[in-house]
Amino acid sequence: MNIIVAIKHIPSIADDLPVNGSNLDFDSVDFVLNEFDEQSIEQAVLVKEASGGTVTVVGVDLIGELDNVLHLALAKGADKAVKITADDPGADSHQQAGWLAEAIRDMSPDIVFTGVQASNDLDGQIGPMLAARLDLPYIGGVSSVDVVDGAATVNKEFAGGVGAKYAVSLPVVVGVQAASKPPRYAPISKVRQIAQTAAIGKVAPSGDGAGAGLAFKKMAPPVAAGHAKMFTGSPKEVAAQIVELLKGRGLA
Amino acid sequence: MSNDIFVITEHMDGKFSDVSFEMVGKAKELAAALGGQAVAVVLGGGVDVNGFASDSTIQVDDPALAQFNPEACGKVIEALAREKSPRLVLFGWTATGMDLAAWLSARLGQPCVAYVKGVSLDGGGLTVSSQVYGGKMVAEVAPQGDMAILAVLAGSFPVEAGQGSTAASQIASPVPLDGLKVKFVEAIKPAAGDVDITAQAKLVSIGRGIGGKENVELAEELAQALGGTVSASRPVVDAGWLPRTRQVGKSGLKVKPKLYLMLGISGAPEHLEGMKSAELIIAINTDKKAPIFNVAHYGATADLFEVAEAMLELL
Amino acid sequence: MLTTIEKIIFVLLALTSAGFFFHGVATIVRSVRAGRPGPELKSVPASLIKAGITVLFQRTIFKARRVLSAVHLGLFFGLITYAFVNLVDALEGLVPGFDLVYGGRHLAFPFLNAHAINTFNLISDLMSGALLFSITVMLVRRFIVKDKRLSYRENVLLHPKVLTGGQAVDSLIVDVFVIMHVIARLSSQAFRLDAGPDPFMPIASAINGLFGASETGVHVAWWISLGWVLFILPYITRSKHTHFTVGPINLGLAKQNPRGQLDPAVPLQTANGNHYEPGAKHIHDLAWKRLLDPYACVQCNRCQDVCPANFYGRPLSPSALEVNKRYLLKEATFGAHPDRLLLPLTETVISPEAVWSCTTCYACVRVCPVGNEPMADIVDIRRRLILDGAELDSGVQNALQSLATNGNWMSKGKRLRGRWAKEMEFPIKNATEEPVETLWFVGDTASFDERVIPNTQMVARVFNHAGLDFGILYQNESNAGNDVRRVGEEGLFEQLVEQNMEAFGKAQFQRIVTTDPHSFNTLKNEYPQFGGKFEVKHYTVALLRLFEEGKLTVKNKLPHYKVTFHDPCYLGRYNGGFTAPRKLLELVGVEFDEMPRNCENSFCCGAGGGQIWMGKVAPGERPAENRIKEALATFEKNPGDKQQLFIVTCPKDMIMYSDAVKTTGNEGRIEVRDLIQLVAEAVGVEEPEMVA
Repeated sequence: MNIIVAIKHIPSIADDLPVNGSNLDFDSVDFVLNEFDEQSIEQAVLVKEASGGTVTVVGVDLIGELDNVLHLALAKGADKAVKITADDPGADSHQQAGWLAEAIRDMSPDIVFTGVQASNDLDGQIGPMLAARLDLPYIGGVSSVDVVDGAATVNKEFAGGVGAKYAVSLPVVVGVQAASKPPRYAPISKVRQIAQTAAIGKVAPSGDGAGAGLAFKKMAPPVAAGHAKMFTGSPKEVAAQIVELLKGRGLA
Repeated sequence: MSNDIFVITEHMDGKFSDVSFEMVGKAKELAAALGGQAVAVVLGGGVDVNGFASDSTIQVDDPALAQFNPEACGKVIEALAREKSPRLVLFGWTATGMDLAAWLSARLGQPCVAYVKGVSLDGGGLTVSSQVYGGKMVAEVAPQGDMAILAVLAGSFPVEAGQGSTAASQIASPVPLDGLKVKFVEAIKPAAGDVDITAQAKLVSIGRGIGGKENVELAEELAQALGGTVSASRPVVDAGWLPRTRQVGKSGLKVKPKLYLMLGISGAPEHLEGMKSAELIIAINTDKKAPIFNVAHYGATADLFEVAEAMLELL
Repeated sequence: MLTTIEKIIFVLLALTSAGFFFHGVATIVRSVRAGRPGPELKSVPASLIKAGITVLFQRTIFKARRVLSAVHLGLFFGLITYAFVNLVDALEGLVPGFDLVYGGRHLAFPFLNAHAINTFNLISDLMSGALLFSITVMLVRRFIVKDKRLSYRENVLLHPKVLTGGQAVDSLIVDVFVIMHVIARLSSQAFRLDAGPDPFMPIASAINGLFGASETGVHVAWWISLGWVLFILPYITRSKHTHFTVGPINLGLAKQNPRGQLDPAVPLQTANGNHYEPGAKHIHDLAWKRLLDPYACVQCNRCQDVCPANFYGRPLSPSALEVNKRYLLKEATFGAHPDRLLLPLTETVISPEAVWSCTTCYACVRVCPVGNEPMADIVDIRRRLILDGAELDSGVQNALQSLATNGNWMSKGKRLRGRWAKEMEFPIKNATEEPVETLWFVGDTASFDERVIPNTQMVARVFNHAGLDFGILYQNESNAGNDVRRVGEEGLFEQLVEQNMEAFGKAQFQRIVTTDPHSFNTLKNEYPQFGGKFEVKHYTVALLRLFEEGKLTVKNKLPHYKVTFHDPCYLGRYNGGFTAPRKLLELVGVEFDEMPRNCENSFCCGAGGGQIWMGKVAPGERPAENRIKEALATFEKNPGDKQQLFIVTCPKDMIMYSDAVKTTGNEGRIEVRDLIQLVAEAVGVEEPEMVA
């Protein structure tokens, strides 16, 4: 089975996000792997471990640092890694999905995993767009995947524990909300070893390269509508104030 | 090309979600300004379809739409959009809308905006604001093109404006819905016997800051002392420290308790969506810059374990 | 003395005994040699002689338990004496006319004069008494008083033989042997005194007074005395009493490189062509010296006494680790279970939970009288667990993932590392942009933790006040990796070292000063192996130097504070940094009370070795809570109404002890402060009022 994972390298929100004009100052942000992609890589490897196949991780290299992420994926159990050398830190989901679709089409996938969303999916996620471009069905919000005899059974989460089980004939694009097991830790020595030996496939961006069609007018931190009244003092004092407040309102 | 606004409503167990009404309300306002119609689109049956304040409501009924099926819904919406060419198609940025909005955008080659918090028209031009980067940034963008697809964060607009009594008209699916590759198998209900956090008056809600499964007990003790129960943000549930039934937020449940005491939750927009209408929100977090302090009524920068333990002694 | 038949029997028995004995020794040697190559040992003969002298003066054992150690003196010198006594007794039996009583009445060897013989007799006689006394004390302690320190917590993984009392049986056999042997020997001497008491054999003479002399008695007692020896020698090679001989040797072969330098995850000498997986899964993945350790261990459990994890109720006992190793090796070599060697160490010698509860405080290694290094085993086991993808504590996994991506364990962006500096009232140099004299390596906790940043900023103010030319690396600094290495993530440690070495390469500086003792340790002791040879100082040393150079002067003495000081493991026990903090406390003029556990014997706060990352918080009294109680008890000995402070010099201590003061309900009685706050107050540096 040919398992593909399409990933996104996105600005880290662990940092302050500097702005340049009406978009982020992409030269001054760190890029990290989308956290949902960690889940989708894990789910892909779990499917491979259960049903066999090879896992190929593919992503758009926006800033020339995707190798680190791909090495990590290989250390976690992916078999092959491919980067699309775009060198455009501001490439939106539409552009990335276009390039990824061209690359993935050539790989004749049986199942394509993506993270269900990313924090920079201003113009939507790459998963549904990949499905549209590859003319494959898409199902997102998925929290477990089993593949048997060319068909996948997936659980989709709606809300609050409510979900549904779907049977999907392959090939399909899946948006992973959470892998059926928490993502494993990849020991860095393994990652480093892979970094020295692994061959990462390189593909030039191809296709129409169509963007999202959005004109940026402004990018700024949200204006806080208000601020909590802050309790101060030691934790004991804070606790006492909270309990007093609750008692005053008949809540304790 | 029309100036109509399509709202793709969503329903489950015979009830429309709040965001459906929110979008209808907003669509009405925008359609009036654009000189078009606000059209509520209902996929599937088993629900009272005559409760929207839309200019018109169309219901597409087909056995394939009896339960949510992203492939079937996508085909119907694409056909409708191609046929009627609305100015805007609104989805909820929800478990169902998230499967469809970006897909439709790619199918039609029309722009899409996700995480939508606001839509405004000035001089005929459309400006959409979107809360991206985990709520740390708000982007304002102008979609270029004949149509725009927007996926709206729940809680962005008032619910009431979308409630009304427009009678729906039923139509058959504009495309054949046979030979689908995606098939609904069965519904997954929450594990039986667990408490319903939406029915609780008091919730002690825990986030990543709780550190580990073993520490959930402390929150449970505190909840018990307060006469409530424990809920959580997504990371806690994803880590398996609490069942899905306890998750508050976009992919969890929406709660409206009298007391929402938050321990170690920084306040991602997805979480806020599920709890911001709680009557009293108190947040304890070690990060004084946590966004939750912009939403909570009361807060403290403190170690949640110490505060929880101290509260237990006082209760 | 013996008849010819007796001599023949004795020689045959002695040869048999020697055969079993040497078989035992050879087996031990073989089992130890199966281990991996260890770090190269330099000048082994000199080390062994040095260890011999140490053992002769019983120096290492007196690090703890003074009274029992004194009793051990009786055992030690008694048994040494008896080694000679048995030799002489054998000669007396075998050589006609060789007889040492009454100053050598029938002496056949004229080169031994009567003084020497009388001295020998007196020592032998008195040491017999000492030995009997000591062994009785030990027996009473183990079997009547049942000293708890000799037992293990119920949650500690123990070899089945230990659970069924294998060690107690060992002790009983050897103790009873010693008593029987000494009594027999005394009796044989007593029976020989046919001319009444010998003034140089007071105990034997007293026994002689009871039973008189007897030729038959001499023979019977002699046979009992030496027969026992022939039996016990082979037994000893198969019991924990290998301690008698392996103990001193092991001490001579003990760790030679600095305490703060861990052995590499794979042996450096791989010239033998073997391929080694990093860390240890099976017992033979441990270096040979660590396979010798269990033979030196006699389960005195001094290590367990000082272990913070054991105190906290966690299933870790360094001594149990050693005894389990010995039984595992023993049953594989002498017994029928070589297959058990193929089981993971986490099933045979130490439970996974115990592996993950070690704080790497080094107290067990420091206190061990025979130079054992159980902590090193634990780190090696962690290394392999991580490599093999064992399930990690969620907190540890989050920390490691953040360290790999952000260079800090707090999931903060790299650029935020210098935020505390940017919020200050004066600029702090970026050492990667302009040369500085002192490069200040701040560390994660001091850079990011809101509770510690006020101390960090105060260090900056005092440095600035003293006119020190210093700078920091801002976002170029990564976690130094000390705890990453000790949690067993060797690859991540190497990555962090490379990142920091790259940052150091961008900067121009004379020396490095650290806030965090953990960073200090690895920068000082481990970075040199990666080419990072710098002068590294802890900030307490840097401050003292500023006082000595006159760049800092005390304006206000602080006699209104009563303080005690906690030695951080990685500053004190690991690197001997005991004096600078104490000198600073003296300079600022506070009243200083030393806690009972101080300097080398300081008690770990419980945060090290990755413990501070653990998501899981175990129940029970935490080490830090116990330490706060110790501080208060210290203050109570000398009560007064001064403000009581618990002084720390490690950012992790600031967090651990501030928490502990609260959880023990001692707010208002004692306050945790970094030493820098006292220095700042004394030299008149204050936090400006208008800091946003």
